[in-house]
Amino acid sequence: MPNAILDPTGTAATKAARPAAARAPRRASLHGARVGLLINTKQNAAPFLHEVGRLLVEEYGAGSVTARTKLNFAVPESGEVVKEMAAEADVIVTGVGDCGSCSAAAAADGVVFEAAGLPTAVIVTDSFRATTEAMAELRGAPGFPYATTAHPVAALGEAQVKERAAGVLCDVVALLTEPADQNA
Amino acid sequence: MTDTAPEAVAAGAPDPAPDPDEAQRAIEYCYQQDWSDGLPLVPASKPLVDQFLATTSRDPDEIIGSLEQVGRDCTVYLAAVNAAMAGCKPEYFPVVLAAFDALMRERAARGGGFQSTSGPAPLIVVNGPIRHELEFNTAGGAFGDGFRPNATIPRAIGLIVRNAFGIRQHVLGQATQGVPGRWSICIAENEEESPWEPLAANAGQPGGVSAVSATLTRTCEFIDNRATGVTEEVLRDFADTIGRLGPQIFPQTPVALVLCPEHAQQFAGSGYSKADVQNWLIEHSGRTVGEMRRAGKGHVLRFGASADAEPVSDEHFHRVLTEPRQIPVIVAGAKNAGISMVVRIFGEWSGIATPVGEKIK
Repeated sequence: MPNAILDPTGTAATKAARPAAARAPRRASLHGARVGLLINTKQNAAPFLHEVGRLLVEEYGAGSVTARTKLNFAVPESGEVVKEMAAEADVIVTGVGDCGSCSAAAAADGVVFEAAGLPTAVIVTDSFRATTEAMAELRGAPGFPYATTAHPVAALGEAQVKERAAGVLCDVVALLTEPADQNA
Repeated sequence: MTDTAPEAVAAGAPDPAPDPDEAQRAIEYCYQQDWSDGLPLVPASKPLVDQFLATTSRDPDEIIGSLEQVGRDCTVYLAAVNAAMAGCKPEYFPVVLAAFDALMRERAARGGGFQSTSGPAPLIVVNGPIRHELEFNTAGGAFGDGFRPNATIPRAIGLIVRNAFGIRQHVLGQATQGVPGRWSICIAENEEESPWEPLAANAGQPGGVSAVSATLTRTCEFIDNRATGVTEEVLRDFADTIGRLGPQIFPQTPVALVLCPEHAQQFAGSGYSKADVQNWLIEHSGRTVGEMRRAGKGHVLRFGASADAEPVSDEHFHRVLTEPRQIPVIVAGAKNAGISMVVRIFGEWSGIATPVGEKIK
């Protein structure tokens, strides 16, 4: 029998073993909800997410907004940060993923927050769909829903950032709450 | 000549000629599995990989690097399979292990570097007697082709990232354009024509031991300067390229200098040590804040600055380097022209070399 050609990936055994990640129950509404923003430090991410937070309070009755900044945009947050945010927030909005590593990390963060019971809206620019979806799948959440805004975000002025935040608001709300027809 | 060659093969070779059809099927099989970087792979078999594993005392199951964010590990065994596929000889494997260890000391490599839009390329530098034992190119064409260890060792690292870590372009790899010659830069320092200590000695491995240093890079830019005998004029030419605006995204812009022997010897002949060269370049490399602002790079200054920091005037000269550690100096290439390379470091070099063949603690 000839020699087999060896597999250089080492994944044959692990693919089947990975459990599916849990998803948090959706909220009926955002009324009174404590919104936690996880800002990934990318240019314009802070004003973008703060505007989303402001609009969630103003238009959807969210109770409060707290914000944290990622220490390293390229890698997922530690379990400690997830625990701390879970203590101070009911829903999470994170982004804005506009690079290879930070979009993937945003998806990874989203999967972890969901598993910790927090409905999460991950926002990335539309250039990074593939890597966002690949990372979610790697983390056991194939088909993980997320919101997109047009690329790029970093070069936008203050008013444009606000417009973009307003533009993604409906998608963010839809990601954090139950579809209305499920309540009917 | 041509009509005697087949007879010589038939008379002298104990093995039958290789079967090209079978080889091609094996190569195509590797392509179909999506294991290839685009070029043909050497199909790895257990007997071949066993030869690689025999060059090290390390356990094949030992994990030698992890990308936590994608949940993937590389073991000694997987490194050996990928090194074999890259075309390495088994005896190169200790250098592959050292290069991979040195690279994984880089914060950017452990973080999202391989997924980055910049698509960075490793710069691997080999020092010590291993350069000659394995027949590395230590002379002309340091960045070039034609030498098996220089070509296949960085390719092995690329295949490890692709296969063991699972970073493929358009999926987890998001390079906008990438770096020309990614996975092909492995320099064996021209220690014989360097006036200074080798890079490994600056990286914790003095005494002429065989050791490998590595960092991630974004590009190389050449400095062609061979018509002045004034050392500071040559240095000023380097400073101009180092300080230019294009690469500036953070306040600090580290670079490696791959100096040709001619430049290195000119600097040393004027009394400059490596540290003197580094310090001169720290002082002179940069642009004024006005130049930065006019090119849309004013925001660079805000990274790490406190919110209530004083505004900086347009006349202020912003230095892109502050520490010698940010400027590793390597001597490479032929002593035949004043042509050197400024290599842009992605992130920051760890400053630590890995000895070849030593068990890592």
